[in-house]
Amino acid sequence: MKREFAILGLVVALGVGLLGGWFIPSPITTPEGESLLSQIKTRGSIKVGTSADYPPFENYNVTLDLIEGFDIDVTEMIGDAIGVDVEWSDIPFDNLIGACLSGEIDMIAAAMNYNAERALQLAPSSTYFAVSQAVIVKESSLLTITSLDNLTNYQVGVQSGTVMQEDLEAIGMTVGINLTTFSRADLLMADLDIGGIDAAYVDEPIFAAFNRTYDFKIILSTPSEPLAFWTRYGEPELLYEINNVILDGYESGWIYGTITTWFG
Amino acid sequence: MSETPDLSTIFFYIITRGLPNTLVLTIFGLVLGFLLGLALSLMSVYGSIELRWVASGYEKLLRGIPILILIYIFRWGMPGLFWYFESSLDRGLASVVLALALRSGAYQSQIFRGAILSVNPGQMDAGFALGMTRFQAFRYIVMPQALRLAVPGWSNEYAVVIKDSSFALDVGIFEMTKAANQLTVNFPQLLTMTMVVAAIIYFLFTFPVTKFFGDRQTKKLKDLGMGGN
Repeated sequence: MKREFAILGLVVALGVGLLGGWFIPSPITTPEGESLLSQIKTRGSIKVGTSADYPPFENYNVTLDLIEGFDIDVTEMIGDAIGVDVEWSDIPFDNLIGACLSGEIDMIAAAMNYNAERALQLAPSSTYFAVSQAVIVKESSLLTITSLDNLTNYQVGVQSGTVMQEDLEAIGMTVGINLTTFSRADLLMADLDIGGIDAAYVDEPIFAAFNRTYDFKIILSTPSEPLAFWTRYGEPELLYEINNVILDGYESGWIYGTITTWFG
Repeated sequence: MSETPDLSTIFFYIITRGLPNTLVLTIFGLVLGFLLGLALSLMSVYGSIELRWVASGYEKLLRGIPILILIYIFRWGMPGLFWYFESSLDRGLASVVLALALRSGAYQSQIFRGAILSVNPGQMDAGFALGMTRFQAFRYIVMPQALRLAVPGWSNEYAVVIKDSSFALDVGIFEMTKAANQLTVNFPQLLTMTMVVAAIIYFLFTFPVTKFFGDRQTKKLKDLGMGGN
């Protein structure tokens, strides 16, 4: 009996220790007083998180051995404007917000939609691009819909942590949609291809990128939604720099060239 | 994007881009796990009752936690843990190594505990009879045999750790599974081929080791009259 108590005690102690450790490191990563922008300048690099499996926004190009894409190009301009290098962290999409909150990264550049719930946790930049979403099915599918509500009783796939997931979950509350979430876009596409799901709800440019390989079609497009870069709250200087680059991109026009490069 | 890669390109891409980090994770995970496992096994065989409780509690706890949960805790849950590493990538590697080592330590302690116990206790007494201290008898008589006896079981642990290192892809570490995944993002049509190639590479790095250290060493031990039948 004594032994069991000791083991239980140890388990509890370790649990408490781990939880304690979760709170203790925060002051180590974010020194008080100095603004994030001046830390970035001192460091000589801005740490940016992305999920490099989302062409044409961000993708790890295995042939060239580098991360490339629309978000990457715009972020490099932000780095140039601040006068620092961009240090990329390739992080699964649904872990990006946590990584930014914890100070692991300074900014998120991952085709992340503006969304009120996210804005409670992180500070959005100005909109740098807008993207429409699409419900896609296999070319051979007979499914037709006029709104997302029509997806009732169908097996629908989304990437986890995206606004598409939130949208469908909200609708699913009332009409009942069988939702399957995938950690990566390529797995979502592969599952649609083998018939594991009836339809997928994705950002339209992703459909275009993957449709070079697969034979899918769009059965419903939704109006464009704004994308933003995200940083922690309380860092207005950094946000100002980011917004300035976006503003300059549209004012002087260089961003249109970047858009043409990646979206045709 | 350029032309579709062929079989050998996929093979060499996964090896050249993914293998270094896979080996770093495996080797550090195993070596740190070895030190931890050896310490725990000594605690559980020779330690006082309290030390035995600690060792046994640790084993039970760590053997009951999925490796991915440990990796998430150390990587995202405790981001300041490896603050002294400059680059985010090194911090990621360190957190996965820690998770692999802590978990492997729990398993390795069982391997060493079994090995130490399978050395005839009479040998320890023989050491005392020669005027050795407890430490000397362990160091010069029991441990050399125990480590040797532990080799086959230990090779199994290597096979477990190298495969579990693939979980590192989920925190963005570019190891072999991540390399394979990136290939399939770039060339979705090659998903099956890429995964088969990755499977073969893992097998190539697992089988010869388990074969050599497992089967051959077991036979050798038998020839030496050590271990069970």
